[in-house]
Amino acid sequence: MKTFRRALLASLAVLALAPAPSQAQVPAGYPANYADTIAAAKKEGKIVIYSTTDTVSATPLINDFKTLYPGISVEYNDMNSTEVYNRFISEHAAGGGSADVLWSSSMDLQVKLVNDGMAMAYASPEIASVPKWAVWKNEAFGTTYEPISIVYNKRLLSGDEIPQSHEDMLRVFAQHADKLKGKVTTYDIEKSGVGFMLITQDSKYNPKFWDFVRALGTVGPRFQSSSGTMMERISSGENLMGFNIFMSYAALRAKKDPGIGIVNPKDYTLVMSRVMFASKTAKNPNAAKLWVDYILSQRGQTIIANQAELGSIRADVTGSMTEAGLSKTLGASLKPIPVGPELLEYLDQTKRLAFIKQWTQAIKGGK
Amino acid sequence: MRAALPRVGVVTLTALAVFLPLGLIFYQSLLNLPFFMPNKTVGVGAFQFVFADSDFWDSLRNSLVIATAMAVIAVPLGAILAFLMVRTDLPGRRWIEPVLLIPVFVSPMVLAFGYVVATGPVGFYSVWAKQLFGSVPWNVYSLTSIAIIAGLTHVPHVYLYSSSALKSLGSDVEEAARMAGSSPFQVARDVSLPMVMPSLLFSGVLVFFLGFEIFGLALVLGDPEGHLVLATYLYKLTNKLGIPSYHLMAAVAVCIVAMTFPLVMLQRVLLKNAGKYVTVKGKAGRQRPLPLGRWRWVATAIVALWLFLTVVVPLTGITLRAFVTQWGEGVRLSEVWTLHHFREVFNQPTLVRGIVNTVLLGVVGGAVAVMCYTAIGLATHRKNDGWSRFVDYLVLVPRAVPGLLAGLAFLWVFLFFPPLQPLRATIVSLWVAYTVVWLAYGMRLVSSSLLQVGPELEEAARSAGATQSQVSRHVTLPLIRYGLLASWLLVFMIFEREYSTGVYLLGPGTEVIGSLLVSLWSTGGADMVAALSVINVVLVGIGLAIALRFGVKLHD
Repeated sequence: MKTFRRALLASLAVLALAPAPSQAQVPAGYPANYADTIAAAKKEGKIVIYSTTDTVSATPLINDFKTLYPGISVEYNDMNSTEVYNRFISEHAAGGGSADVLWSSSMDLQVKLVNDGMAMAYASPEIASVPKWAVWKNEAFGTTYEPISIVYNKRLLSGDEIPQSHEDMLRVFAQHADKLKGKVTTYDIEKSGVGFMLITQDSKYNPKFWDFVRALGTVGPRFQSSSGTMMERISSGENLMGFNIFMSYAALRAKKDPGIGIVNPKDYTLVMSRVMFASKTAKNPNAAKLWVDYILSQRGQTIIANQAELGSIRADVTGSMTEAGLSKTLGASLKPIPVGPELLEYLDQTKRLAFIKQWTQAIKGGK
Repeated sequence: MRAALPRVGVVTLTALAVFLPLGLIFYQSLLNLPFFMPNKTVGVGAFQFVFADSDFWDSLRNSLVIATAMAVIAVPLGAILAFLMVRTDLPGRRWIEPVLLIPVFVSPMVLAFGYVVATGPVGFYSVWAKQLFGSVPWNVYSLTSIAIIAGLTHVPHVYLYSSSALKSLGSDVEEAARMAGSSPFQVARDVSLPMVMPSLLFSGVLVFFLGFEIFGLALVLGDPEGHLVLATYLYKLTNKLGIPSYHLMAAVAVCIVAMTFPLVMLQRVLLKNAGKYVTVKGKAGRQRPLPLGRWRWVATAIVALWLFLTVVVPLTGITLRAFVTQWGEGVRLSEVWTLHHFREVFNQPTLVRGIVNTVLLGVVGGAVAVMCYTAIGLATHRKNDGWSRFVDYLVLVPRAVPGLLAGLAFLWVFLFFPPLQPLRATIVSLWVAYTVVWLAYGMRLVSSSLLQVGPELEEAARSAGATQSQVSRHVTLPLIRYGLLASWLLVFMIFEREYSTGVYLLGPGTEVIGSLLVSLWSTGGADMVAALSVINVVLVGIGLAIALRFGVKLHD
């Protein structure tokens, strides 16, 4: 029985490895010993990913990765950002199996995990092709290029009712206060970590930030916990405009829904990037390395930009949703949020609660 | 005392399943960090934080308002419905009854989402109303609307209890009142309903208690204007500090339990007393439906209006949303029909797994759960000793813990109790949580079947020399098998509907429609939410249809 099983396993292994020589070559420009990493990864045979990027968007990446490295299966789990964090720290504490790679849009939580020593240091061969702001300590990597936009309902807003910048929003709120009353939406910063991170970035880049918040207060904003719920409401006309919405989501929805309009604010457009790192305690560390390299590679980034619609950080990837494409129209107003310890600032409880309090009061003060 | 061993086993296991997660919650509430972090310290900081947070007091007040409003709305309406259905010749009673119970078996998430799409500021019905009146005369996001909707959707709970009480009354007193010239509504108000007062009181307390557990309705409808209730406040704490604050959530959970547990105990006392009151009933058995006469149309209008508001509006809303690409002001529905969302659902492995898991959990899980409930039922059947009284209270305990938190506690149990770890990422973890959360409900179903078995049958077997387990296997169980089948069906429907328990257990392998709805709603996949809701309603509908086909009594 035992020998039979061993024979069966051996033949399965041969099957799995059979197409390997033709496909899994060391990518151009990688060190020669990368072949060892590939071989070790194949031995591991799988990779477990926790991610906030939904499976539909990630499927082209997963399929292409499997073509590139046959024999490595991808266990891809999409969940919300809190869940990624919670699950990872509790599984880490319990000592059971957890993810090999974490990939989340909650940049601050990812940086916190890296800061707490959960990440594997890995000098990916792709680092040189990635902007400096997207790499921290060779542990955390920004992987996407996603402008944060103003989204509005095209059927119901037109002309000077559509703000062109953060500053312009002040004017629109004042001029069209009646029409916009109760119909401007943005993140509930107490419920959404991403929303909170974006608004604190706003407070850095917008010189009239608190004026802006008070003006927002005067139109009685509606706070939602996700981009999706905001977009649903804007699309239906229940809300007329929203800000701090991921352009990637809005663009995807605008394809199906002609009522969705998108503006990238001219004074500054924040750009967020989904942060990825390989876990220090990964059960499949080599497969994890392959995945990180693949996502940062030109091949992976081309799919990220053109099929997953998330925007590429690489200068050598073309398309409308890439750094290269967006710089043409927006130039210096693009402000990528750097992957780094600055993101930890507002994870400090006292600071965070103080900010929330100030925000709430400013919103109320505007009414 | 040979037979005592399995009995002790069953009781111990139940106690473990109930107290382990609850104990974890209490323990966690007294820490300043997640209990698994090495640098945690013990203290009451979590409670101090919560009590100093104005959101907590807001949500507590809102919960009280909603719970009170629910009792005020649901009790009279439920009582009137019960009177009309049980005591009068209301036309169409046979088909109205199952429809009446729909809100019990449809997830509040689904109902709430239906209300947004149907009656939100630019909902389907709102747009029609706007064309009629010039403006939308209601605001579905206000606290008042949430309270009214919560009240309307809990009418069936009152109906269930008051109708079974009304059924045991004779008709003579009502007829006397009618003969003396009272209108049917005067009969209801002055004669029939006062006689079932204990049941009404019980269901009032029940509805008030359920008011503290409201989660889905408030999550969906309370968001735009920021109305929090205790359960959504707890959910909000997940993110408020940026990093998960389990200790704060646990502290809120302890506060909730502190309020709900006395209510659960009160229900128990009331339920026991309810039977005593019925001694004043007239000659039982001789029941004749009270003719409504010219009041017939008023009665029909009341029932129809309630059905329209509580069942038709949300369900048509959600169904419509599932078949359109977009909706709202300025959208012509005829141009946006699509089947795309359903194709999308079946293209996503997670969602397909969710549907399969939901069915499995309902069918297989439901059956196993009923077996467990039966085992517990048999362990205490006809034994009035300390163990039985202990179990009596034991099964009520999980009732007081909101499903959301019970799910989180079970996640911890499965993560940190090594023998259970391999089961965590499987549907078994969900099944355990569901089974414990619905313990009280299941036990009521099973024990009502058990009580129908005449003691003399079991005694006969015992005097013929049968052991305890032989009596159970050869006498009791075969006699209650139809009762158990019916319980299975009801548990199936409840498991299909459940949503909050799975929220924190949701992960690869443990997807179910209910928790996927919450998760998709918070990440904004409205298309998927609508399509999944419709699938969920269809599943529950199939259960309901089977129940009706086989004449399962939907209540006692």
